Amino acid sequence: MRLLISGALVAAVLALQTVLAQPPAAAPATPATPAATHYVLDPAKSSLDYTFVQAGAANKGRFTRFQVAYDFAPESPAASRLDVTVDINSLDTGDQERDDTLRGADLFAVAKFPQAHFAASQIDRTASGYEAVGKLTIRGVTRDARVPFSFRTATENGAAVGYMSGKTSLRRLDYGVGQGDWKATDQVGNDVIVSFALRLTAR
Amino acid sequence: MAIRNTTQRWGAIAQLLHWLIVALVITQFTLAMLFDDLPPSAHKLALLARHKSVGITILMLAALRLAWRWANPTPPLPDTLKPWERSAARFNHVLLYVLLFAVPVAGWTMSSARGFPVSWFGLFTLPDLVPKNKALYELLVTTHGILAWTLGVVAIIHMLAALKHHFVLKDDVLRRMLPLTSNKTQGSGR
Repeated sequence: MRLLISGALVAAVLALQTVLAQPPAAAPATPATPAATHYVLDPAKSSLDYTFVQAGAANKGRFTRFQVAYDFAPESPAASRLDVTVDINSLDTGDQERDDTLRGADLFAVAKFPQAHFAASQIDRTASGYEAVGKLTIRGVTRDARVPFSFRTATENGAAVGYMSGKTSLRRLDYGVGQGDWKATDQVGNDVIVSFALRLTAR
Repeated sequence: MAIRNTTQRWGAIAQLLHWLIVALVITQFTLAMLFDDLPPSAHKLALLARHKSVGITILMLAALRLAWRWANPTPPLPDTLKPWERSAARFNHVLLYVLLFAVPVAGWTMSSARGFPVSWFGLFTLPDLVPKNKALYELLVTTHGILAWTLGVVAIIHMLAALKHHFVLKDDVLRRMLPLTSNKTQGSGR
């Protein structure tokens, strides 16, 4: 009996090795991004906004400079990639004094951490759309993040475009945005709602 | 002590509103002086938020006070007053009421013009009175300040006049606004 199991195991390992040894091209289902379309941002028609609570009231802001690269394979979302880089210095809450405070060392510390970065190497299909699963880095702190979004494609003037939008919530203190007395959440809330509406063009 | 005013004395509600507003106005001057020269910080935000909440409270109490005044008898000014003193007292009282509304409304409008919505102790957010406007904001900072200092001066005149009535003229003008006392001339506060 033991001999039989060992024999089966050896056979299984051998079979597995044979499968793995095959070149990727020979396996039709492997996610080698053959059908992925590469999209880049249309900055003029895209927005990246956030809502935060200051002194008990909701306040809004946006980033005016950010880059997006999206490789979308409709047939295998798991082979898709999303990469977003945000220029933190471009933050705009509509108030110069507040913006300068946010750029300061105790909040975003832009001099040291000029960019925030989201890199998703996996896109999951969900009941209502998609979810980008990846790593979000803000102020030098990297954490796992899942960002739900919807995506639709269209053809405009003969060019392939994509519209991506979504909304997610994150806690600023998870990323160290708020040092010293800014760690307190009674005046500036911990939860920040980030929303985006992007127009992407296929390359 | 009677809840409502009589023709001799201010009732408990009127007294409570009067002295509560006195305490809150003093709080407002204190908070404003504490945050005025501070650089932006969470501490400054906290003081500012408190100042706005207390200001809105004063506005609400002033409205309540005016309504209560209309629904109650008003103890008359003493007969001993000369006509000009009578006019001065009336003018001062009207100005106090006007400023108790004008100062918080100017502050609220100033916050709206800056683009910072006003929250009342974090419990609810007030509507913005004007859209964001930097020039209007700058103007309202000055206006709010001038109105506030005017309120301070008028309130001090009001206080000095009350003290004169009490210590120099020795009448019931101050006593009838004080709890746990009674009028000299008319006895109990009924």
